[in-house]
Amino acid sequence: MPSLLAYVFSSRTAVFFSALLLRAVLLVYGIYQDSVSAIKYTDIDYYVFTDAARAVARHSSPYDRATYRYTPLLAWILLPTSWGGLWFHFGKVLFALSDLIAGWLILMVLKRRGMREPEALKYASVWLVNPMVANISTRGSSEGLLCVLVMTLLWAFETRRVTLSGILLGLCVHSKIYPFIYGASMLWALETRSSGSMNTKAQSVFKFFNADRILLVSTSLLTFTALNVLMYNNYGLPFLQHTFLHHLTRIDHRHNFSPYNTLLYLSSAQTTVPSFSGSSLRFSFESLAFIPQLLLSAVLLPVGLAKRHLPATMLAQTLAFVTFNKVCTSQYFLWYLIFLPLYLADSSLTARPALGVTALALWVLGQAAWLQQGYQLEFLGRSTFVPGLFAASLAFFAINCWILGIVVQDVVEKPIEAPNTSRLTGARAPISASTPTPEVKRTASERVIGTVGPTSTRPRGNSTLDISDITNVHLGPRNRVLKSN
Amino acid sequence: MRRRSTYITHPSRAVNPADIQVYKNQLLLGALKAAREERLTLGLQELPQEVVEVLKESHELHVRWAPEHPYNTTVPFLSRISPGLHVQYTPLKEKQPGHLCDLIHKVFGQNLRCESPQSTFTSPPLISERFAQTASLQYYSLLSSLRPLAAYLQRNVCTPSDLVCLHTATLLNIADSVDLDYDSISHTLTLTVMWSRQPDIIYDPIGEFTTLDAWNLDIEQKGSDKVEVGILSPGPGLEPSDLQLSGFLTVVGEDDHPKATLFSFPSRHHALSRDQAKQQRYNVSFDKPTGLHPILRISFPSANLLTEPENKPSGSVCALQTYLTLPSHIFADKYAFLSNDPLFQKSHNLGQLRSIIGETDLEAPDYVVKKWGSTVLLELQTPNSTVTNHKGSVDGPWDVTVPLHLRYLEPKAGGTSEIEVPWPIVFWACTAEDGTKFPVNPFDRTQLGYDGLFGPRTMFYHLNPAPQNGMMVERIAVPVLDTDTASPTTIEYLTVVSIALGFLWVLFKLRSAFRPASMNVEGKSSDVGKKKQ
Repeated sequence: MPSLLAYVFSSRTAVFFSALLLRAVLLVYGIYQDSVSAIKYTDIDYYVFTDAARAVARHSSPYDRATYRYTPLLAWILLPTSWGGLWFHFGKVLFALSDLIAGWLILMVLKRRGMREPEALKYASVWLVNPMVANISTRGSSEGLLCVLVMTLLWAFETRRVTLSGILLGLCVHSKIYPFIYGASMLWALETRSSGSMNTKAQSVFKFFNADRILLVSTSLLTFTALNVLMYNNYGLPFLQHTFLHHLTRIDHRHNFSPYNTLLYLSSAQTTVPSFSGSSLRFSFESLAFIPQLLLSAVLLPVGLAKRHLPATMLAQTLAFVTFNKVCTSQYFLWYLIFLPLYLADSSLTARPALGVTALALWVLGQAAWLQQGYQLEFLGRSTFVPGLFAASLAFFAINCWILGIVVQDVVEKPIEAPNTSRLTGARAPISASTPTPEVKRTASERVIGTVGPTSTRPRGNSTLDISDITNVHLGPRNRVLKSN
Repeated sequence: MRRRSTYITHPSRAVNPADIQVYKNQLLLGALKAAREERLTLGLQELPQEVVEVLKESHELHVRWAPEHPYNTTVPFLSRISPGLHVQYTPLKEKQPGHLCDLIHKVFGQNLRCESPQSTFTSPPLISERFAQTASLQYYSLLSSLRPLAAYLQRNVCTPSDLVCLHTATLLNIADSVDLDYDSISHTLTLTVMWSRQPDIIYDPIGEFTTLDAWNLDIEQKGSDKVEVGILSPGPGLEPSDLQLSGFLTVVGEDDHPKATLFSFPSRHHALSRDQAKQQRYNVSFDKPTGLHPILRISFPSANLLTEPENKPSGSVCALQTYLTLPSHIFADKYAFLSNDPLFQKSHNLGQLRSIIGETDLEAPDYVVKKWGSTVLLELQTPNSTVTNHKGSVDGPWDVTVPLHLRYLEPKAGGTSEIEVPWPIVFWACTAEDGTKFPVNPFDRTQLGYDGLFGPRTMFYHLNPAPQNGMMVERIAVPVLDTDTASPTTIEYLTVVSIALGFLWVLFKLRSAFRPASMNVEGKSSDVGKKKQ
């Protein structure tokens, strides 16, 4: 059995075939469950997308469908779902295929960073054959589509396609706002190959605005603006309202994983109900929530880490963004899970299996505890807001911060990568040992420990297999709230 | 003022005309066991100024009220509505601010949630402006008692010395139905009050005597008022869509004796036959535990006997429907119904969603919702409409469930808030023959909310609610944030401290990234390190 597993995870065909098979089985099972049960496998959001696609097919606005808060692009892409019959599931197939493409891109990025294919495949499997990922996309959540865009963005950047990166970045930010944080780390990573010395401040400022940076900023801004102008012309104010302005006015009072949640519920009631009893809050701290969130994800982490290891930096940024966000549901976890394979390869979570297992277990337990409290509230009607849900969300926040700390430390301990020089000369530079810099030696030696050492198989085993536990608990209550059953 | 006073006795208790004493300006009759309807038609000059002001802003205004306890309907008073106060309103000018809410507060109670017609009322979509059957704005509130209305009339309409007026107003407290109707064409306000039966006990302060379980009629005509008294009994109608009444009409002050009469007329609202009414009584409850997604259950005692009305006209097509009036704290997700998933419908025994009007925002908490709530018209499946899967031979109860959702309510000490949901009404909607003219019915009742959602030639055969505890209002405990367990300040403090600690922890881990030493791992980046400092 272990040898079979080893074979499966080291053959490209086998990994992608298993990934495809997993999704095909889930898709077919989903169609079957939907056809025999009033409790649907298909995600409630998928009905929102498909309703919106139907609206577009009728030449009306996707925003006619309440709670459609996405770019019209999504409804356009899903137009085939309005053709009836099995076409209804077109979106899920698309999302599942996106997963595979994202997995393939992970593989490319890993190999480009000098990893041998069999090993790269094992890490890519963390995404590819992850049941949680397959489950989310086959249920029809569009996050898979966003993940493939983000991974393409990273791949384009790693292969020095700056213009393409800019276009993809603009597209990503247009689709969901949060990927703008990657703009910060990419900009920072686009260091001018310093040849001369910098003497004056003016010179260094001038140096900062190198050609690549200007290209990235301009292409991304251009794409972002062009898309928004296009959509605004087509759908007017509802487009702005639902994709962007909604995020400024939403109150997020419903229970979710965010540490701010209880406070937001309290303060939303307090601002709208003047007669609200109980001691009032002194200051609305929740309105400042963006400060720690953006300071970490868009400034400090990019500046501190981006030049050391961009993929791991993006993981840290996303983890920070989601952890410190005012609202957090289980679908947001996918945003950072996509980067996990790129980080795990060279992390203390795999180097020290006990740490890795603890991190995974705590992450799962944190959610499980919260979900248990959420179930008590939502279905048994117990008032578990305090202390239950409040404590669970703070604990989950603490666990995420702790994991974020580990990621940050791992990246901090890496040396600063020479500005793309080694990767420009050849993707497999460390293997071929053509550039005997201290950096290469160190990573190479670590990798040797990672693959050959006795501790190497367990952590990977954990990361690929144990993650399956998550499928049992992946359903955030927000997704369930309006589930008609 | 015009007054029409109607007493409906059971045919077996038909009144002997000799017992009705008619004098010059007075009619007397003792110990009458009957349902009663009083209809007062008032000109604007007879009304308090603040009422006139509101009416002058109105194109039409219809108020309907039903009590929370069940009552038996009698021909011709057969319509039903959910318990509470229903208002249908069309303002004269669309965007005028309006004083209707102020008046509602004065007349029906200060605690009713009503800000202004524009913000609080819901607007049903107009199917056809020209033939509009429904008012442009709707309002509803639970209202268990009409005491405020009685007090308002006593204070503002009765003269302090008018004992009859003061006394009659208190009868509102035991009424089973109260309607107010105004339209800008007739410029008159009609107050219609119905009692389904005689009061158990009534004290006459003028004659100083107490009557048990009967009405004592002492109806006077004063000044230019027109007073008409009908003492009638129902009989079998000629057509299934008809009602028939026979008995005696007297115009007090004009007639010197009661005049025998027999008339029939088509009626929108009907009762089921005696047997069917018993077999199709319904009970409403919420499945326990209710959680945040309560399931409303409408139970019928017998699946097999849940069949179309026996007394419908031949050729008429019927469907069982329920009309829910949902205050803002509870709502239905229209998309769950609109998908028309047969599996969903079968698992709930529901048919199609016919109409959903009002506050249907899926996410907003109750405290930001301005509208009073929403109404839902749903078709129900019956065992006979779903031939497959329901074996006809097996009889048992028949339950229909409606999945609903609760809005978040404001935090409160104790951790639960109790909300009230009025029972929905259930009826068979049946087609009537072409040319049936319901408006000729002198007791025709429209503007009930649901009737406007059907074509003008629809008949409603009402099922009787049969609550076990005698109340047609369900109470649900909604979990809310318990401000006793943790004060807002504690929550704020703990949240801010946690965020700060988490933030500092990440900064602590990040610190060495900004140290020059670590920047110097690679020679080339030393200047980068300098730049950052």
